[in-house]
Amino acid sequence: MQNRRVILVVEDNPIIRMCAVDLVDAAGFEALEAGSADEAILLLEARPDIHLVFTDVEMPGTMDGLKLSHYIRGRWPLVKLILASGKMIINESHLPANARFFSKPYQEGMIVGAMIALLSDGPAP
Amino acid sequence: MAPANIPHAEAASTLAVITWSNEPLLFLTGDLTIIAASVSFCRTFQITPESVTGRRLSELGDGEWDMPRLGSLLKATALGSAEIQAYEIDLVRKDRKPRYLVLNARKLDEGDAGYVRILLAITDVTVARAEARQKDELLREKAVLLQEIQHRVANSLQIIASLLMRSARRVQSEEARGHLHDAHHRVMSIAAVQRHLAVYEPGDVPLRPYFVQLCESLGASMIFDPTRLSIIVTVDDSVAAANESVSLGLVVTELVINALKYAFPDYRRGTIAIDYRSIGANWTLSVRDDGVGMSTGADKPKPGLGTGIVEALSKQLGSVVRVDDGNPGTTITLVHDQAAGGDSDLPAAA
Repeated sequence: MQNRRVILVVEDNPIIRMCAVDLVDAAGFEALEAGSADEAILLLEARPDIHLVFTDVEMPGTMDGLKLSHYIRGRWPLVKLILASGKMIINESHLPANARFFSKPYQEGMIVGAMIALLSDGPAP
Repeated sequence: MAPANIPHAEAASTLAVITWSNEPLLFLTGDLTIIAASVSFCRTFQITPESVTGRRLSELGDGEWDMPRLGSLLKATALGSAEIQAYEIDLVRKDRKPRYLVLNARKLDEGDAGYVRILLAITDVTVARAEARQKDELLREKAVLLQEIQHRVANSLQIIASLLMRSARRVQSEEARGHLHDAHHRVMSIAAVQRHLAVYEPGDVPLRPYFVQLCESLGASMIFDPTRLSIIVTVDDSVAAANESVSLGLVVTELVINALKYAFPDYRRGTIAIDYRSIGANWTLSVRDDGVGMSTGADKPKPGLGTGIVEALSKQLGSVVRVDDGNPGTTITLVHDQAAGGDSDLPAAA
């Protein structure tokens, strides 16, 4: 269980979050979870070993997943980003560079594929 | 309504036409004295008809028509140096809501420099403007609502898909896992239609991008070695109504799952080809594989859920299912012929 890459799942829906955590776990990574952008930022501050954030876009609160992803890119530039949204169309140019986007419902195999690809690419934070 | 204090006598027919016009009209002299007003003008702007003739425009009612900009425009019109076309102005009256007016004015030229007449037409567009604004608002609200619904549907489908996959990961029985994966494919197939409906509202779904996406999704989750198995999609420019698209997509999903499961045992290589084309109301959908072909006789599999689904959907789509030996492999074709109709002969599979 040592040296597993750490992935933070940010999702306000508890069922989807639980399943996403299970998915990350089954893929062999260590999963952390947050129900909002604020929670996610607190976790990122506490856990400098987070390698990747997998976040929902539509979330209540002051910051949605898109704003969160830009905030993370600015403050922790090495953290990889995957976004998922129930909105079908999102302007790719609104995403931070190198962030991956999937519309919901996502194909879990594609999410895991993106996680593996992003984590094998470039240094960890 | 005889204009007693106006030097030029007006033709009785002119006055009658103006008085009884359905459109609010004012007939004015060059110095903006009113010769005649239509009954509709008096009714629309609550002015006593008897008080109109011989008054100046600025004295009408409680003086609400005394608008400097309008006055100077009308004077310019009288001089022939301007023309009022669709000029918009607010009529502000005491204790009443403002009205939005559109004005058109014209100088009537009869060749006599001393005889200047202006015909001013006033259209009250307050209600029309409010209706147009309301319609815009409703359209905006509708678009927002539609987005919200699509977002909720996507999220609900995500919950179902996530739970199915989580169960599939945890369940011990290989057979149960297979059923959970199939259920997941069906949910994803319906989700793909939803996605296309959201992009191409309203109603019609272009089938090519839909089937391509559907098969990419199926391949991504079911094909572990893309060099061994591949899916090819050939679709013309057909579009289908939303509910038909859902059915067609589910048929493709079932048949592709079937082929991936049974047509290529023992690491056999192969291709699954999906083809859809339509001419008018008639269409043909075929799913062809170059695998081992269908088993017959005693070892032929019992009809499964997949077969039942394809039969039910085909019936709903008004098509007939045909199964052909592809030599190698199997070709299953759904044919919708408006002129024909009938029962399917899909054998047991899945």
